[in-house]
Amino acid sequence: MPTALKHKQRDGTPYRRPPNIESWIEKLEAVDVASRLSQFARASRKHSEYVPTEVVLHFLRRAWIDGEQGQFEKIFGILLPRVEQSLRSTIWNSRIGSATDIRDEIVSRFVVLITKDCTSQSNRLDFFEIHFDQAMVALRTSVLRKFKSIVGDITTVPLGSQESDGPEVSPEVEGALEAFLSGDPQEIDDPAFRSVLFAAIDLLPQDQKQVIGLLLQGIPIDAKEKDVMTIARILQCDERTVRNRRDRACKALKALLEKEAEL
Amino acid sequence: MSAEQPRLDEEEVLLAFSVEPMHDSATLEHYLSQYPEHTQALVDCSIELMMNASRAGEDVQVSSDQVVGQAWRQFQAAMGSAQSSVIANPFGQLTPTAFKSMAKRLDISNLFLIRVRERAIDAATIPRRLVQRLAAELGATADAVSAYLGSPPSIVSGQSFRSNVKPAVAAQISFEQAVETSQLKPAQKEALRALRD
Repeated sequence: MPTALKHKQRDGTPYRRPPNIESWIEKLEAVDVASRLSQFARASRKHSEYVPTEVVLHFLRRAWIDGEQGQFEKIFGILLPRVEQSLRSTIWNSRIGSATDIRDEIVSRFVVLITKDCTSQSNRLDFFEIHFDQAMVALRTSVLRKFKSIVGDITTVPLGSQESDGPEVSPEVEGALEAFLSGDPQEIDDPAFRSVLFAAIDLLPQDQKQVIGLLLQGIPIDAKEKDVMTIARILQCDERTVRNRRDRACKALKALLEKEAEL
Repeated sequence: MSAEQPRLDEEEVLLAFSVEPMHDSATLEHYLSQYPEHTQALVDCSIELMMNASRAGEDVQVSSDQVVGQAWRQFQAAMGSAQSSVIANPFGQLTPTAFKSMAKRLDISNLFLIRVRERAIDAATIPRRLVQRLAAELGATADAVSAYLGSPPSIVSGQSFRSNVKPAVAAQISFEQAVETSQLKPAQKEALRALRD
């Protein structure tokens, strides 16, 4: 039975790992160290026996508690490339300035969390045992926000300018974009389109990205009812400002999608 | 939310949000109402989580050796300093003025007290009664001060060095040598020697 997580939720109950992670841990507790390490080393997520990173992290923490330093170092060497992998697939190297610096910052912050875990100063790694990729998104968001506060907006491609109307947008692209902006993102069947669209959204200035991102989550721009959460209320600005940002963002997105379609 | 509960910092709020089973508008609304001071961060995180969901499962080639090497060095360095700071520095909270006042009250030179603080003196040779007096001045227990003095000497952080020579940890001297070479007056030397066990 895997040891329970220590971090507690606001209601005082401890966080729990998802059942599939618990099963993986139980399964790997039953095998010898060498077999476990060789299973961890499988690098491709597509492999049927790919061990989830949450599980690899659990055994890293266990190795430290048990004083198994050699094992700890080996698992560390398996875990860190996975950390970088999760960042490589989310930060577009060619499109965002100083991507290497940002990645280094995030990896460095993760190592700090490991250090604090080893010295019992913090158990934030518990979150990474629950859902590693999503916790990495949170860590990345936090580090990026600090990074931006120091170096400014890191988007290097100027978008949202009103200088040019750009090329004519094809009805297909326009239709797809409008469908996307007005509906549930999960309803867009074409993963290639979604990937291109999200990459384009990532290039928007922060204020426009927030508006588009909240629209895609189904949050209305404005509402008469005072108890309804709206984008204008969340961002504490006038609904006309929100609409302006949305319009500028849509224009930029259409231009980008059109450009992608030409390639 | 209870008023007694400590406020969470941005990173912790985002981590808690990230592991929620659902990331719909209701979850976002709940977090925004609980942590209004982190609104911008939560909005950014909700967008990144939404976009990340479509990227999950991608395999990317990474240059693991460099990453692992760098991260491992960082870890070892951090653990090294963490382990040495496990023994708290009882002098850590003293301002320069408070430090000088303490030397005056103990009737010893600043240089002698600096040598004590920097652990430049072999702890085994320091009289127990001096340790007790130091502890009383520092508001610490004699055992805590002993543990600190007995831990390995190091370059004290917070000091700036401007030198062509790399800073290094100097060899420790004995209590007797420190008494002789710390700009102490004859009466001060006698008083310190009288503390020997």
